[in-house]
Parts: sequence; C-alpha cells; structure tokens
Amino acid sequence: MKVLVTGATGFIGRQLTFALAQQGYEVKALCRNTDHPYLVKHKNIEPVTGNILYRQSLGRAMQGCQQVYHTAAMAKMWCRNPDDYHETNVTGTRNVLEIAADTGVKKIVYTSTCGVWGPTIKYPMNEDDPRIAGFPIAYERTKYLAELEAGKFAKQGMHIVTVNPSRVYGEGPVTDSNTVGKMVSAYLKGKWRFIPGSGEQVANYAFLTDVVNGHLAAMDKGASGERYILGGEDISFNDFFNTVSQVSGRKQRMFHLPLKTIEVYSHIEKLKAHLTGLRPFFLPEFAERLKYDQKYSSDKAITRLGYHITPFAEGIDKTVKYIIQY
Amino acid sequence: MMNQTAIVTGASEGLGKSLAIEIASRGINLVLVALPLSGLPELASFIRKNFEVKVNFLEIDLTDAESYPSIFEYLRVQQITAGMLVNNAGVGNWSWFEDMNIGFYKKQIELNVITPVLLTRLFLAQANADATSYILNVGSLGGLFVVPKKQVYGATKSFIRYFTKCLQLELHELNVKISLLSPGGINTKPELLVMNNKLKGISKATIMEPGDVARIAIDGLLKGKKEIIPGWINRLLVVLNSLLPAGVKDIMIRRRLASVIES
Repeated sequence: MKVLVTGATGFIGRQLTFALAQQGYEVKALCRNTDHPYLVKHKNIEPVTGNILYRQSLGRAMQGCQQVYHTAAMAKMWCRNPDDYHETNVTGTRNVLEIAADTGVKKIVYTSTCGVWGPTIKYPMNEDDPRIAGFPIAYERTKYLAELEAGKFAKQGMHIVTVNPSRVYGEGPVTDSNTVGKMVSAYLKGKWRFIPGSGEQVANYAFLTDVVNGHLAAMDKGASGERYILGGEDISFNDFFNTVSQVSGRKQRMFHLPLKTIEVYSHIEKLKAHLTGLRPFFLPEFAERLKYDQKYSSDKAITRLGYHITPFAEGIDKTVKYIIQY
Repeated sequence: MMNQTAIVTGASEGLGKSLAIEIASRGINLVLVALPLSGLPELASFIRKNFEVKVNFLEIDLTDAESYPSIFEYLRVQQITAGMLVNNAGVGNWSWFEDMNIGFYKKQIELNVITPVLLTRLFLAQANADATSYILNVGSLGGLFVVPKKQVYGATKSFIRYFTKCLQLELHELNVKISLLSPGGINTKPELLVMNNKLKGISKATIMEPGDVARIAIDGLLKGKKEIIPGWINRLLVVLNSLLPAGVKDIMIRRRLASVIES
C-alpha cells in the first residue's frame, strides 16, 4: 500500500517514514529538498519534492496514496517572519486535507501537539479537558487553529485521526525544534548549567519510538474526528537533569535561575530579535510558561490504541547514547 | 469568601472561561451558564477536579425570556445563595451596519443589554443582605471610544457603562460592590487570534491575554474598584481620551475610519 508522509525530514516524520518502510509500505516522503541529510534512505522510501504550501506538488505526491500522515509543521520557537506559523500550520494543513479529499485518500493521521492544551493545574489533562490559558505562543495558536480545520473536514465525512504528542525526545537529530535534544546535548557538553526556578515544574516527555508507534496505531485503530494524546511520563526539571546525569555518568553542577531573571532576560532577547532580526534564545511567552506544569494523560491512547510508554530513564538512556554517538 | 458561590455567564470560552477559573482558584464555588454543546460539562469537571470547589452548570440560551428566572429557580432548588454575579456573556461584531441582519442585532442587544440588567435585578433580590455581594459587569473600552464597525456592540457596552455607574450610586449604602470591567482587545476566540495577530504598533500593545484580564478583574472586584481597566496602555488611552478636545478626536477617528475602509 502507498502512503504519504509530509514533513519526512522532521523529528517525528523521519522516524515514521523509516518505521513504515520497515513494515513494507511504499512510502512517499514529502520534503522540500530531497537531498536533505535527515531523509532516510531505504528501498521502500521514495523521496518526493514538494511543499505543503504548493498545492500542485501535493496533488502529485498524493497520487495513488491511500493514507497520509501529515506531520509537517513549523515547530521552531521563533521565525523571522511571524506569519510563517500560520502559513505552514494552518494554510498548509488545509491544503493537505483539501487535496487528500480530491485525490481519494482513505485515511489521514494529523500530528497535532499537547501544546493545544498548554498549561495544566493540578492533574494531568486528557483529551476532554479545556484549554485554560490564552494563546501567546504562535506554535500553539496555529496548531489549535489547524485542529479546527481538521475538525471541519472530519465533520464532512473525511477519516481524520488527530494525535497529540507531548514534548518528544529520542533517538534523532538535534534540530532547532528538538528542544529536549538541545538540552541533553548541551548538558553533556557542560554548556547547559541552569535549571529554571525551583526546578519543580513538571512537563510530559514522550519517547520518539512510542510516538511513532502511536501514529501507526492511530491510522490502524483510531476513530475519525477523535484526538489521542501520545505522551510519556510527567517529569520535573530536577528529575530530568538527575536522570540525564545518572544515565550518562556526567555530573554537572547545576544552578537555579530565578524565574524573574529569566523573564527579564527574555524581554531583552525579544527586543534584540526585534531590532537585529537575529534568532532569540528565549522569549517572554516561554518564560511565562515556566510558571506552570504541563502534565498530560495518555490513558485514552493506551486503552484504545494499545499505546505503550517507555519509562523515562530507559528512553533518556537511549537518547544520551544516540547523541554521544552522532 | 469561603462557601460563596459565583454565577458566571458565557463561561464556556474566552474571557468567561478565564474568569471562571480565576474565581475557582480563589476557592469560590461556581454556577456556570452557557449555551448547550459549548463544552460546559467538560469545563465544570475540569474545575471541580483541579480546584476542589463545587461547580454547577446550566446549559441555556440567555436570550430566552424564561432563562433568567430559571437560573434563580435552579439555585433555590439547589439551596444555593449566589454572592457574586459575573455578567460576561455577550456577542461582539466587527462589521458595517448593513452587513448584519436584524436577527443578529436583536440577539446581540438581548444578550448584551437585557440579559445583564435582568440577571442583576434577580441576583440582588436573592442576595444575602448581611454578606457583601459582588457584581462584575463586563463592558469594553469600546463603550468609551467610538470605534467604526462596532456601532451596535459599542452602544450596548455604553449602556452597560451607564447602567453600572448609576447602580453604583444607587446602591452605595448597601452591602453590594459593583465593578465595571473595561478591557481593550483580548486574545480569545480563534477568529480573533488571527485578527489580533495581524495588528501592529499601539493597537497590538493594547491586546491582552484572557488569564491576565481575569486576574486583574477579580482582584479589582474584590477590592471594590468602580472601574477596572486592565493594562497601562489602555489606561493611558482613557486619560488621553479625556484630555483631547472633541475636534481632535473626531479627526483621529475619521483617519482611522479611512484606514479601515482601505483594508
């Protein structure tokens, strides 16, 4: 069977194309540049030059495909042109869904994010919980709008399953949007020496292999119009770095940076980016988020899709080994 | 404020949702009111779980005449006396007057004007005179400034401004605190997210996050502030508005109107 993966060079898309190819699918890997170093080479993977913003290229790519995994997104922390988020995440998703409907694609799995819920209060959030904060973060805002688009198509009878990975980490290239990879890699080099605030704030970390398997299961068993959180363990910053330290055997003395300092610094960075057009290291909307937990429950995916969570220590061990190796 | 109960209208999304969460975070029980199929049961269960307050909800259309007494009949049956009323439900518009039909304007005026007036009347009738009662009326800076394409919305918010200020005078001897909330733009609904994100300069700086507006609003309400204007830029605009001569403001609005027509 032919399937298309958009964002095939991305952190999730790359591993997903490989897993599909291994299972014997004929995978069309959509990427803007087929010479991309992160594109997996495999006899079952056919690289297709295209862009989710060019509808013609999508039509060609989807020719003969029965399934589409739409993982392409603008997931960077910052773009020089802020409209890029809306273009890629909302218009791009609409393009993919419209063309899929026209070319007779049977099923679509759309990769959203737990960022559509964002901050949590006391208990881990599930798929039915409301968003409690606004949308100052462009990525979260546009991914939320893209979910509304997917919802419209699902209502019209298209088979679309949405998956919501949390903060994904694992064996893959350390890119700009791979936040965890950047943190682990910098820690190992001794360049990441700080923990925000008390370090007690909790976030949910999903292991890449689990997330990829979750995508496959969502295509296989997911109900149309439904969302499935693909997460992992809820881990605090302190536990995060303790675990990295334990599995790598590298001990760094870590400093706790007050949240107020981070906030002031983030405003300076924002101003710098505004004046110079250079990429900021951090932004105020992310500093604000450090005050909250981001805990999510994968129970629905576990019961309905057979989703499996790799223990954090085991996943981090594999990640550290991968990063040291490459 | 322990064991107090607050009624929040239009609680299912936007500022109403943020106000409900802010009130719950202060340990006050809630009665949430919003349209059916707007996600109210999910919001209620989320708040119950995370804040350990009692949450009741009513899925009703506040433009139905029976809905007003039915809220308080429900409270009576549940043996709840409400100590706080948040008149938040409302419908905005950003369109030329000819672009909307008469049905829309009728609903808008019913929800923005009739609903808060009648709910305030019924709320005061059941309030416990021995405890302080609180009313938060959600107005808008649009109730103060004349903004093109907001003709009916702005007028309804001007009504709320007059109504609230007048009640403050009438009721000042009673144990009732009434605040007018006059926010600028807030990042709430998806359509607004797209629109607000395209704004530049001063207009962009006046836009606030719903969580921040909610926190400032409830702080102000509990302190008994008469008018709450979140954001220093918005407060500055209000001061400028009172200083500038009418002729200058007229010119500014006309120029703004011209730029609106172009876009």
